[in-house]
Amino acid sequence: MTVREKLLNPTGADRKTGGSSLAPRPASLRGLTIGLLGNTKPNAEVLLAEFAGELKARYDVGEFRSYTKDYFGTPVKPDLFQQIAADCDLVITAVGDCGSCSAATVADGIMFERAGVPAVSIVSDSFLLSARAMARVQNFPGFEFIAVHHPVASLGLTELRYRVQDVLPDVLRIIGAEA
Amino acid sequence: MSIVIDEPLADAEEIRAAMEFYADQEWTDGLPVVPVTDSYLNKFLATTKRDPEEVLFAVPHLNRECTVRLAAINAAMAGCRPEYFPVVIAAWDAIAKEPYPKRGIWQSTTGTAPLLIVNGPVRARIGLNSQGNVFGSGFRANATIGRAMRLTSINVFGLQPHQLDQATQGTLAKYSACIAENEEESPWAPLHAEYGFDPADSAVTALVIRSCMHIEARHTRVPEQLALDLANTIRRTGALIHETSSALVVLGPEHAQVFAEAGWGKDDVRQAIYDRAVNSRADLVAVGKEAISRHTRWRVPADHPDAIPDRASQGDAPDRVPALVSPNAILLAVAGARNAGVSTVIETFGVRGDTPSSIARVQEIGG
Repeated sequence: MTVREKLLNPTGADRKTGGSSLAPRPASLRGLTIGLLGNTKPNAEVLLAEFAGELKARYDVGEFRSYTKDYFGTPVKPDLFQQIAADCDLVITAVGDCGSCSAATVADGIMFERAGVPAVSIVSDSFLLSARAMARVQNFPGFEFIAVHHPVASLGLTELRYRVQDVLPDVLRIIGAEA
Repeated sequence: MSIVIDEPLADAEEIRAAMEFYADQEWTDGLPVVPVTDSYLNKFLATTKRDPEEVLFAVPHLNRECTVRLAAINAAMAGCRPEYFPVVIAAWDAIAKEPYPKRGIWQSTTGTAPLLIVNGPVRARIGLNSQGNVFGSGFRANATIGRAMRLTSINVFGLQPHQLDQATQGTLAKYSACIAENEEESPWAPLHAEYGFDPADSAVTALVIRSCMHIEARHTRVPEQLALDLANTIRRTGALIHETSSALVVLGPEHAQVFAEAGWGKDDVRQAIYDRAVNSRADLVAVGKEAISRHTRWRVPADHPDAIPDRASQGDAPDRVPALVSPNAILLAVAGARNAGVSTVIETFGVRGDTPSSIARVQEIGG
């Protein structure tokens, strides 16, 4: 046998292509509705409430609305996604502190950006590579997310507040607000 | 006397160059893979009537899907022979029915792997081992069909370790995990017949597994003692991330015989293990797993802010905490050699009291 043939690529093609542009950022947070999407992981709600408190103290935010995913390992279900995208001007989602939920938290953020809603995804920095890999398979390699210092699940309120303070400037930068 | 083998000639440099190419692309589990081109791919596709572009398994949240063609390329790379491919397709059909893989379990810190159990005449046709060393190495069909699942996960779904696969430690089963049932030395109906298949058909059952623990019980012919030994392993508190656990029990033929000689069928074995796979409330308090989280339903201590009581604590016997939801949380198979009283308990994800649906028929052309 001397027939020479190309070696075949064994990787999966993209099922769908989506845009990789960020949603337009608001000129100001004044009067905006901000969605807080928790994923049931320990401390997710507390962390989101802390971010909400910091934003409220700095800006004249309209209101905060809380939502909870029914399963942390996969992206938010279509019905809830539509509701949040319709109700909110901006979304913060937390917390990606496990193998599947770190990636899912980033996938959620990308879905909101593609729907025109600016989003901040919060993951633990132990799962930075998983979160980046998800952005890659979603064809949105430039998606920027927040990696807080691991761990999150086992922290008390004081330690959680330190985590929030550490990353607050980046959160404000991602949503386009001036610190 | 010496045996003369007429070894073939090869351009080893070119073969190595192809293997290095795959390694450089990270299209591997770490071991060398078999180079695959269109003409070799076509031999695999010729073993099935399925359309090469048919999607066997999709993970929408990863934006990836595995077609028949991609499954074939990866099976060939894994070292499968073309005639193994109908088993690989059935394995993907079975995995597609499993609730956990499509929900991201392969990305999880828990670090699971798919385990395949093959039943029916295809076992003998392709040389699948169901006897001695059934979980070990040395049998090409077992080794490469199991490996085909891993290479596909890595290549098609992007589940590379340190990236989308975030397993804290993983499991040795991640390299390859495919066994055949030893139907010939089982006293009971084969696994696929139990779930409605014709014993003359071949089928693949797919499970999501983590730990494999072997049970030494060479001393006993008393079925209750053996059931207790198995149950004590299944109920171990270290396994309890969720409220309850579930298990595949792979009985060695001698152990299956202990039960059968006592007149026990598979349901009797399941019931006996279920009845004994119970922790005391104190056992769970001692490890801080006496309650469950109202959010994740994972086990947590009672003083955790998310803690709610587990189901057992609301029943008639709150101090007796079953590790299994029902006898059906146990799957039974028979495999291995009939040479010692040894069995294996494999902890599974996704079978917690329901009849497993993750079983699919092997469709062979002309078969």
